[in-house]
Amino acid sequence: MLKQDLNLRSPIEKIMGIDNITNSKFGAVLSRAGVGKTRFLVQIALTQLLKDQKIVHVSLDDSIGKINLRYNEGYTNLVDSIGYVDPQKAVRLWDDISLSKVGISYNDVTFDTEKLKDYLKSFKKADLPMPAMMIIDGLNFDEDITDILKKLQALNQEFSTSIWFAMKTHRDEAMAKDGYPVQLETRKDLFDKALFLQPVDNKIQAVVLKDGNRTDQSFLLDPATMMLVE
Amino acid sequence: MIRDLKRVRNIGISAHIDSGKTTLSERILFYTARIHKINEVRGKDGVGAVMDSMELERERGITIASAATYCEWKKHNINLIDTPGHVDFTVEVERSLRVLDGVVLILCSVAGVQSQSITVDQQMKRYEVPCIAFVNKCDRSGANPAKVAKQLKTKLGHNSVLMQLPIGLEDKHEGVVDLVAMKAYYFEGEHGERVAVKDIPDDLLEAAKEAREELIDAASLFSEELTDAILEESDISEELIKNAVRTGVMDRQITPVFLGSAYKNKAIQPLLDAVLDYLPSPLDIHNEAIDLDNNEESVVLESNFDKPTVALAFKLEDGQYGQLTYIRVYQGCISKGDTLVNTRDGKKIKAGRLIRMHASQMEDVEEIPAGHIGAMFGIDCASGDTFVSPTINYSMLAMHVMEPVISLSIVPKDNKAQINMSKALNRFTKEDPTFKTYVDHETGETIIQGMGELHLEVYVERMKREYKAEVTTGAPRVAYRETITQKSLFNYTHKKQTGGAGQFGRVAGFMEPCEEDFEFVNKITGGRIPTQYIPACEKGFAACMAKGPKLEFPVTGVRVTIDDGAFHAVDSSEMAFQAAARGAFLEGYMKAKPVVKEPIMKVVIETPNEFQGSCMGLINQRRGIIQGSQEEGVMSVIESQVPLSEMFGFSTVLRSATQGKAQFTMEFSSYKQVPQSIAEEIIKQKQEEKKA
Repeated sequence: MLKQDLNLRSPIEKIMGIDNITNSKFGAVLSRAGVGKTRFLVQIALTQLLKDQKIVHVSLDDSIGKINLRYNEGYTNLVDSIGYVDPQKAVRLWDDISLSKVGISYNDVTFDTEKLKDYLKSFKKADLPMPAMMIIDGLNFDEDITDILKKLQALNQEFSTSIWFAMKTHRDEAMAKDGYPVQLETRKDLFDKALFLQPVDNKIQAVVLKDGNRTDQSFLLDPATMMLVE
Repeated sequence: MIRDLKRVRNIGISAHIDSGKTTLSERILFYTARIHKINEVRGKDGVGAVMDSMELERERGITIASAATYCEWKKHNINLIDTPGHVDFTVEVERSLRVLDGVVLILCSVAGVQSQSITVDQQMKRYEVPCIAFVNKCDRSGANPAKVAKQLKTKLGHNSVLMQLPIGLEDKHEGVVDLVAMKAYYFEGEHGERVAVKDIPDDLLEAAKEAREELIDAASLFSEELTDAILEESDISEELIKNAVRTGVMDRQITPVFLGSAYKNKAIQPLLDAVLDYLPSPLDIHNEAIDLDNNEESVVLESNFDKPTVALAFKLEDGQYGQLTYIRVYQGCISKGDTLVNTRDGKKIKAGRLIRMHASQMEDVEEIPAGHIGAMFGIDCASGDTFVSPTINYSMLAMHVMEPVISLSIVPKDNKAQINMSKALNRFTKEDPTFKTYVDHETGETIIQGMGELHLEVYVERMKREYKAEVTTGAPRVAYRETITQKSLFNYTHKKQTGGAGQFGRVAGFMEPCEEDFEFVNKITGGRIPTQYIPACEKGFAACMAKGPKLEFPVTGVRVTIDDGAFHAVDSSEMAFQAAARGAFLEGYMKAKPVVKEPIMKVVIETPNEFQGSCMGLINQRRGIIQGSQEEGVMSVIESQVPLSEMFGFSTVLRSATQGKAQFTMEFSSYKQVPQSIAEEIIKQKQEEKKA
């Protein structure tokens, strides 16, 4: 029951629709540094954990400790947003669902899609349900990462796991002519969902850049919690 | 033994397996002139290190039992305890930490802070043991002591500060720069026995000055004098820095980091100096016991030789001349012929031969005063027993001992083996509180229980080697538990009134899940069950916990509340209420949705990066849950939780999947409910066993 309540309160439900986010091949959350890409991606991943799905969070920036901390924070914010919840119940639920989250911490040099492939293969081998989603945080989209994206695309096709990326933009960069940040513009065909976060008057505005008929919708988020501002 | 306790150090050497603990101990003994030849662990000379006194230890290259030894360095007595590095033997580590005043935490300069270092660190925290760190293997390819010092901060939360800088690393490692004295130390001679003190090489001077600044800055938090000296920009003496760091170490607020390579004989002598300079003497440590005659109040023990004696037996060994009991004396003094009392059983003993140990050699002594570690011969006791003078009744606080999670049946090959096996088991259970044994009354088999596969394997090997007890072992078995998942009511009447003395008792109430193993709550009012029968009810319920009605595994996590009942003025008895409670338990238990729980182990794999994916796959195939994987340099650390039943033979599988390059540690984490499909298999297996 608490699971459904939490998902109903999730900003993801309002902005993109929880069932919708795993329909994608590639999704991206874009913003400049420090606005809240990772925190928003954590909220995306939490929706799947609350649906008893497995997720894999790959970070090229954060240590495992930090990844775990981000999820703890994200979950707490979500719980707090529905007012009173029996704290013991909330803790028990987290103990239960957090087991479905796997954090993997790489650095730029050691990130290798082959390792992810080996790992995903083992689910098949052991006849286990595949992770519904993979979050990849920290890939540098200012560089030519065509090869990596191609390999990830292959993973997405082979294992039917949707992949969401954090894509860092830059404050001083102008938007491309389609209205997309340049990091997305050059690869827009790969991504079927994209969301842009930007600070607006002490709030964070989430603009849907790409997602069928949801495109161009915008929402306001509380920068402290990444919850929707009522 | 010297009585000036300022010149005594009781120290341990703790670390991850293969970090070089035993090698370091050997070097210390060599430089302190306790041995005259260096033997390597798994040495080419086929001798093996002195500290690994058990044949098995030498063969496997791991230290199983802590060997206590003493040595002298610059007119100080150092009692040294070498501790095992494998998690399966942590009870040894815990026992050692209990009697130590300080620890040298060894870290590998390549692998850094590893999983076992984290476990050992937690144990050090539990016993509040001050420590200094030694980053070993600076001669290895990929050595990076600065990274390791940083990891001490980030992974273990230590306020680490470098006390030395390396002069060259990997194959160019020549010596160290002492940041306190601002001198360079080189180690000359065949075994690095001559310390050459020289000026700091020019290319390191700037870095050394910077690092010294950092050291002084960190140390100044613990000394006003030092802070004043910094503010006044006056000369900062070595003494001032050392005193400040020492204060920080005592409070566990700072961890000075030393560097070197035990294998290449580099920088061991400065480490010995550091043991004297920074680790506490027995006088600096606050030790407590509980007074059993005074409501178990805590009593502070003083290192005073004239006070009544308090000593703790922390390790037993079967020697040539009978049982050797290692003790630490906390208060008073044990002299030959003294009468002592074992507070566990109240038995009086007479201290006979007293010795101090140098691994496998012993030296007779007349007395063991407070603050020292020694050993007694011919005393019958168990590990963890407290010995006191007959005038007091103190007990040292109990050690934290975990319940065993794995069992194995053992069958002696013949009658002779049977006798030897009994002797061995008797010894091992006394030595190691996490090793237990019992006879299964249904199968007649002897069962041994322990903390992991390797733990039991080692004891089976020791049985064969030390006691000539040839035994065959069965497949390892997991210690499953049963528990209930919901509240249920019971109302049971035990009635046998068919002639003669009758039996009558009715017990009603409810049972529910709880955190504790077993709780009994009495809410009977109005004398519906007379007070004298309440303990019988509790006994009846408690008796059912030993063997669960579902699958005959021990039951845990049940709170039983009784709130109603009935009795008969003539036919009720304690026996009748015990029987009623048993009936009530059975009635309530099956309604409370019982489930089977299994031990879940925390498994940490350290593997070269290229095998990360396949190692994670291995965990997946074992019903494991990966909590995270962190890449550190060339290695990946994968943390996971895996059911123990899936971990049998894992070391072989891991070896073949990683070309022998990965290693793993495993320790008990918690009990969790078994998935339905597995529970069904267990039920099937149990039924087959019963049929057989």
